[in-house]
Amino acid sequence: MHSGKVTRASRVLIWDLLVRCFHWSLVVGFFAAYFTRHNPGPWHEWIGYAVLTLLPIRLLWGFVGSRYARFAQFVRSPTHTLAYSKLLLAGRQPRYLGHNPLGGWMVLALIGSVLATCITGWLYTTDYFWGLEWMEELHDGFTWLSLMLVGLHITGVIHASRHGKENLPAAMVHGRKRAASGNDVD
Amino acid sequence: MNRKLSSLVFVLAMMASSSGFATGLATCDSGPEENWKPSTELQAMLEAKGWTVRRIKVDAGCYEVYAVDENGKKVEAYFHPLTLEPVPLDSEKAN
Repeated sequence: MHSGKVTRASRVLIWDLLVRCFHWSLVVGFFAAYFTRHNPGPWHEWIGYAVLTLLPIRLLWGFVGSRYARFAQFVRSPTHTLAYSKLLLAGRQPRYLGHNPLGGWMVLALIGSVLATCITGWLYTTDYFWGLEWMEELHDGFTWLSLMLVGLHITGVIHASRHGKENLPAAMVHGRKRAASGNDVD
Repeated sequence: MNRKLSSLVFVLAMMASSSGFATGLATCDSGPEENWKPSTELQAMLEAKGWTVRRIKVDAGCYEVYAVDENGKKVEAYFHPLTLEPVPLDSEKAN
């Protein structure tokens, strides 16, 4: 592999089908809910319920899914994450085949924030919380937080793509990444 | 790539900051707020009908009411601040 060319054989499947389908369904669902938020009719609510169904599937998959889908594989300790962050700031961070430590925490943050957005939105429609201002503001607040996290997530993906000389968004489509070599963390 | 990234972040920030804007569900040509009938009058009127009013906000010159009606149904309804008459949603007017 000294030619710098990557052949098909040196690519390995990292993101399984469920992880990939979940990722892009969540993207579509989140933004569909966002853009229907003031629409008359039940669209916004039904999209919300669909997203609320997706999230527990991914959470369960984090325990029983394929190797790189598991939380145990990519949720690193604060110490490990801090050490990675320092290397990142120095521009010397290794490439991870799965999620890097910051990316791993981002997965949890995004799932948590979108889940909170779904739950507060649903609660607002219940008899008990209907029309209560603080519940609406909580729902808006989690939406805002999710959007911020999405921005940060995309920034991180672009940065890691350039640093690792690979197309990470494409890897989330076909699931394959360049096999580990050198300092890469598998 | 950096320009693409910054425009993306800009779009996301715009989306996040637009929450205080009018929803566009209904609009009322109601002029300055000092000429409006008070929302407490609307609330008393609806409560007399048997509604439980949860909240009244202002949206695009209308009073937007969140309430539970006399049949226990959750309603989100618009009223004109000058007349306190119900305002149809823009989407209903189009049909």
